Amino acid sequence: MKSKKATVKYRASNLTFWQKVYKYRVLLLMCLPVIVFFFAFSYMPLPGIWVAFVKYNYRKGIFGSKFIGFDNFKFLFTSGKLSVLTRNTILYNVAFILLGNMLAVFVAILLNEVRCKWFRKVSQTMMFLPYFISQVLVGYLVFNLLNYDTGLVNSILKSLGVAEENLFQPYSDPNVWPPILILVYLWQQTGYNSVVYFASIMGIDGEMMEASKVDGANGFQRIRYIILPSLKPTIVILLLFALGGIVKGNFGLFYNIIGTNSLLYDTTDIIETYVYRATMTDFNFSTASAVGLYQSVIGFVIVMTVNFIVKKIEPDYSLF
Amino acid sequence: MKKRTIALLMSAAMATSMIAATLTACAEEGDTWANWADVDTSEHVVITYMTTGDKPEGEALENLNAMMDQLNAILTEKVNAELAIQFISWTDYLSNYNLTLASMDGSVDLVGTASDWLDAWPNAKNGAFLELSEDMLQTYAPATWASVPAENWEMCKYDGEIYLMPEDGYTQWTNHGFAYRLDWAREAGLENGVHSWEDMTTYFQHVKEAHPELKYMWDSDGTNYATMVGGWISSHSNYISIDGLNSGAMWGGTKETPYTIYSPYVTDTDSLVEFAKLMKEWDELGVWPTDVLNNNGADNRMEFRSGQVAAEQHHTQTWADLCSKNEANKIYQDDEDAEVGFFYFGEETGNLTSLNITHGAMAVSAASENPERALMVYDLIRNDQACYRLFNFGIEGVSYEVVDDVYKKEPEGYNSDTQNINGMTNFWWGRNDTLDLKNSTNNWEAINALYAKYDEVAQPYMYGQFVADVDSISSQINNISEIHTNYMKQIAYGKYSGTAEEIVAEYQQALIDAGIEDVTAELQAQITELYGE
Repeated sequence: MKSKKATVKYRASNLTFWQKVYKYRVLLLMCLPVIVFFFAFSYMPLPGIWVAFVKYNYRKGIFGSKFIGFDNFKFLFTSGKLSVLTRNTILYNVAFILLGNMLAVFVAILLNEVRCKWFRKVSQTMMFLPYFISQVLVGYLVFNLLNYDTGLVNSILKSLGVAEENLFQPYSDPNVWPPILILVYLWQQTGYNSVVYFASIMGIDGEMMEASKVDGANGFQRIRYIILPSLKPTIVILLLFALGGIVKGNFGLFYNIIGTNSLLYDTTDIIETYVYRATMTDFNFSTASAVGLYQSVIGFVIVMTVNFIVKKIEPDYSLF
Repeated sequence: MKKRTIALLMSAAMATSMIAATLTACAEEGDTWANWADVDTSEHVVITYMTTGDKPEGEALENLNAMMDQLNAILTEKVNAELAIQFISWTDYLSNYNLTLASMDGSVDLVGTASDWLDAWPNAKNGAFLELSEDMLQTYAPATWASVPAENWEMCKYDGEIYLMPEDGYTQWTNHGFAYRLDWAREAGLENGVHSWEDMTTYFQHVKEAHPELKYMWDSDGTNYATMVGGWISSHSNYISIDGLNSGAMWGGTKETPYTIYSPYVTDTDSLVEFAKLMKEWDELGVWPTDVLNNNGADNRMEFRSGQVAAEQHHTQTWADLCSKNEANKIYQDDEDAEVGFFYFGEETGNLTSLNITHGAMAVSAASENPERALMVYDLIRNDQACYRLFNFGIEGVSYEVVDDVYKKEPEGYNSDTQNINGMTNFWWGRNDTLDLKNSTNNWEAINALYAKYDEVAQPYMYGQFVADVDSISSQINNISEIHTNYMKQIAYGKYSGTAEEIVAEYQQALIDAGIEDVTAELQAQITELYGE
């Protein structure tokens, strides 16, 4: 296997660029949509980063506008909120990434163990459904469940004879929101996330499984010694990918559920929601881009660091 | 482009002067627009007018289109152009409005705008609006040019250039206050209605006891914090604010010394504490829903019309509709004794400012391909009676009927959901009293009485010529707005924890930390430069 790869490599390096293009035309054709996508949406807008350093004038355009250096970043740093915002954003994302992946792996393994085919299909579909519900609706669902005056939870509590002052008041209490938001996130995303892991489990060599059966391994041992180790590369890669976005908050989730209830900001305000509020009123492209750049730079640093660490420990699992 | 048109125009003018005799026939129908005979309108163009408002659907859209067909027939005949409307729906309207302008793709020509609530000046500064030279206005919008006095044009200038065509000939009051049930206020012992915040408290206390059938007393969606505290300050001081700096209108002067700039949100501590206490009282009384800050789905005005709530916080213009016995206001059909009063903010101290003339104005997009024709179309819908009435009220006999030349009424079989053209075209950028028709169903007795009261106390807007240059202080203003919003939501809805004194102190400290004093100083410097010491 290894030697074959090496020969291909050797041969290919003798070809000119266009010969290589011709030789791998089918592969390239398959890649084309992805290449076009990344080129159009990730590389072409890159020069636009410049907008973060100018006072943007619609008529003069990005490169014709006046250069003002780091002035656009000022509001972010002078607000005194950057640390709270970054903390909230990162902690929520850590919770989402870790719990989300753990639960997804768990669910994928459970699905794999389900023998009854129709039950597996039905439960998979059921778990998948919340992913397709718009965040706006999720926001309303949560409000209708939890609001003080008419919410479902309080209606049930009231009918059980709970006193007024003991009713559930989440919209005035910032401390209950981290678990609620994480729960909502998991409810929405687990079905979707588990698909990748389920597919990896399906891809595990059947001979290994059979061999383990012959050796007398029970279900738990099979999971512990075959499935989990086989999933390790997938888990690491997905984690690495997710870490790149660790400073990018889930705007839809937070904005639709918390809205602009400033009572709850201590524990629920993330960079995105803050920037949305701060820049929506004066519609400043430049400051918004400045924030975007700040997030990208931090995300880049985090990915590079983590990738470096992973490479030290287990070179095969690193991204590059 | 502009140069070429003007050159073309001049040569055309020279040529046509020789055959001017033949043109007198055209000039007869209206001298104002006689010059248009010289304008080259050979190419048929579509002028897109952009306005805030939700696009009508179904039958309403059909009715709108029927009106537009008639209007476009006239516009085609007169200036070989037709009008199309681009709606910026109310959801996140400011973002979408600015985004549409920023795209600069020539998709809009005429832009309805406002200096206090639609970012007219920031957009002008960002280059979204076309500079309107006096020549252009005189040539392509002669009627508008003639109707706006020179001092009013001054208020539409930034850096010496005119950007806006103001709605300065239309009587309206958009000062905020509470619309309430006057009949219920009388039950509460307020014979003359509500005239102070204390009366309002008495009113709510009574309604709470006497009308348990209501959904809420005020089904607020949690967004009225800035008008509430602004109203409180008007009612308890002589503060007058500068429009358009931020949504809180947090800087200004006093009636006596308008050009000494300060922010009452930092100085009027006792008043704010009192406000915070009263609002806590209102919250505990249950004036609004417990989770008011997340109450996004509420439509309080609808509920007020149908008698499910007891108060609506909005401006006089809205009250003028609510106090009138028209079809939409179901309270009058359900309850013969129903009456709606208005307590306006600033009533206690007689602190009331007339509307800034750029509260509504029309601008031309800098990306417009046909700015000349856009001006011509605007000049017609603003000043030509037939166009004005079609665009504002719809087709006569279907959407309205004229009564005594000054009133309009709803014709037989009128349906306010589908035939209210006025509520679809949203032309709030060039109405004028000479062509306008008042609603005959409006309660003019009550409205005129209030307007008369206003006229007695109101003083003109003092900062009409001031367009602040906020480049150096915009990051502070951003942060201050954010602080104001966050704290005021808690204070104005009584949702804060701890004492009123504590929360106000915390709020003021946050403002100071965010640099509110630097902003005040900078504004003072700019005001002094413009108006002198």
